Amino acid sequence: MSSFNNPHYFYLFAMTNGKKKIAYGSSPQDAYESLRLRLTEQEMANIVKDQFTRIAQRELQAHVHELG
Amino acid sequence: MKRLWLDNGDLGVFFKSSGPHERWQDHGLGLLRTILRDGGVETDLFSLRSLTSWSDLPARLEGYDILIMNVRSYTYPFAYKAAQSFKQVNPKSWVIVGGMHATVAPDEMEAIQEFDRICQGPGENVIVDLLKDPAAFPRLVMGVGAKSMSGWPMMDRTLWPNPNLPDFPWPLEPECGWDPGPVATLLTSRVCPWQCVFCNESSYIPNMGRKSVDQTIDELNYLDDHFGPLGSVVIHDSMFFQHPSWLKEWLDKYPRRAHKPWPYWAAGRTDTVRQWPDLFEALVRETNWTTISLGFESGSDRVLKILNKECTAEDNDFAIDLVNRIGDDLERQGKQVPKLWANIMLGIPGETREDAFDTIRMLRRMKHVLPSIAYYAPYPGSALGYQLIAEGKSRMTKENYHRYPSDEKVKGIDYPFYNALLKGKYDSEVNKELPAWARPKGRVRRLFDRLVRA
Repeated sequence: MSSFNNPHYFYLFAMTNGKKKIAYGSSPQDAYESLRLRLTEQEMANIVKDQFTRIAQRELQAHVHELG
Repeated sequence: MKRLWLDNGDLGVFFKSSGPHERWQDHGLGLLRTILRDGGVETDLFSLRSLTSWSDLPARLEGYDILIMNVRSYTYPFAYKAAQSFKQVNPKSWVIVGGMHATVAPDEMEAIQEFDRICQGPGENVIVDLLKDPAAFPRLVMGVGAKSMSGWPMMDRTLWPNPNLPDFPWPLEPECGWDPGPVATLLTSRVCPWQCVFCNESSYIPNMGRKSVDQTIDELNYLDDHFGPLGSVVIHDSMFFQHPSWLKEWLDKYPRRAHKPWPYWAAGRTDTVRQWPDLFEALVRETNWTTISLGFESGSDRVLKILNKECTAEDNDFAIDLVNRIGDDLERQGKQVPKLWANIMLGIPGETREDAFDTIRMLRRMKHVLPSIAYYAPYPGSALGYQLIAEGKSRMTKENYHRYPSDEKVKGIDYPFYNALLKGKYDSEVNKELPAWARPKGRVRRLFDRLVRA
């Protein structure tokens, strides 16, 4: 009963090119690993695993221009 | 000032035979025109859906001072074209736009010089003043919504466009293949609070109170009295099956207070079904919830995680088993069997062939099902859509948001594989993992025909 006992959050991870990558999960680690489900190893290598900020869903639009 | 509200949609669908969903009426239009009328602001109405050719549009637009349009992402190209046409025949006029695309993609709206005022967010508490004096507002107007849907007036459905078709019971709507017509569509709640990254609608629209159960039933009884007899109801809420206290009141009152417990279509999530199974079962059995729309999306936990669905394949299986069991029981009793309107998504970045097979297997385990299958579309406004656009992986552009079901929407997706999968080319692979009862027997309707516009 996923959303009732395991709520997810949005995280913005820093990237080596100065952009950010949006990810989501129950923790920063879970969110980072979720990215691996759709990105290549090369794409994952551009993400700085330990530099992230948690954002609320309602703040999504404010960060759109940072994404890459 | 002469004001024209232009209803957006596919050209010609109010003329020729077309799918029921292309002929749904626009609740935003109906509500806002009701509020405008009550506020002393008259608007004329024309529908693009009543046009057969774009070349006929200028004559319909000429002589007006203000054009108003509710713009969704998939009607954005139409709105752009209509605004250009309006300005050509009325150079000193105003074009005022709002709606979901204005809310999620204001940059794209601001790039169109013909859009003079762009209302971002809910418009119900600003539209009267905006249309009386657009010059008093900045170009990007922050909408003001009601705190609760109970604060909305009852929508006057005679303010909807009338297609004047023999099979269209205006101001009610035609049957759409689920339950009998005439159909009353309505909203009891607005915005799904979950965070699925193909949608994220609650990023843009603040929480608001649900329409009361009494108000909902009163509206249905009014429609039955004035325009009926009603055949069935479609509750358009993104998430009907939430707020247990509201649902319990609906369970108590709908069968008693409504003129008739009209069969209805309404939506939920599988984890909510698993959270409140007794309430779900009671609603299905006692309130005539005959078409149960559930957002399954995928049979694979990997893909559900990519979509941030916050449901698991196990949640999906729980809901399928429960609906199958209720259906079997009602069938034994000779009663109407509820159908699952199964929302399925394929072509998701990161999805493997085995994930897709799991999704088709999940679909095959549904005994009474109306599959609604779409290829994932990275619309701006959603978290995954924004991210894929930023990664340069989207094939969608603002000129082609109005996509056809089998169009290719994301780079790197093997669409020929998915087309073949839905045409049954991989059935032997899919079926070998299924129990015997779930394997299709005889001639199978191709799932490709169930592919819908995303």
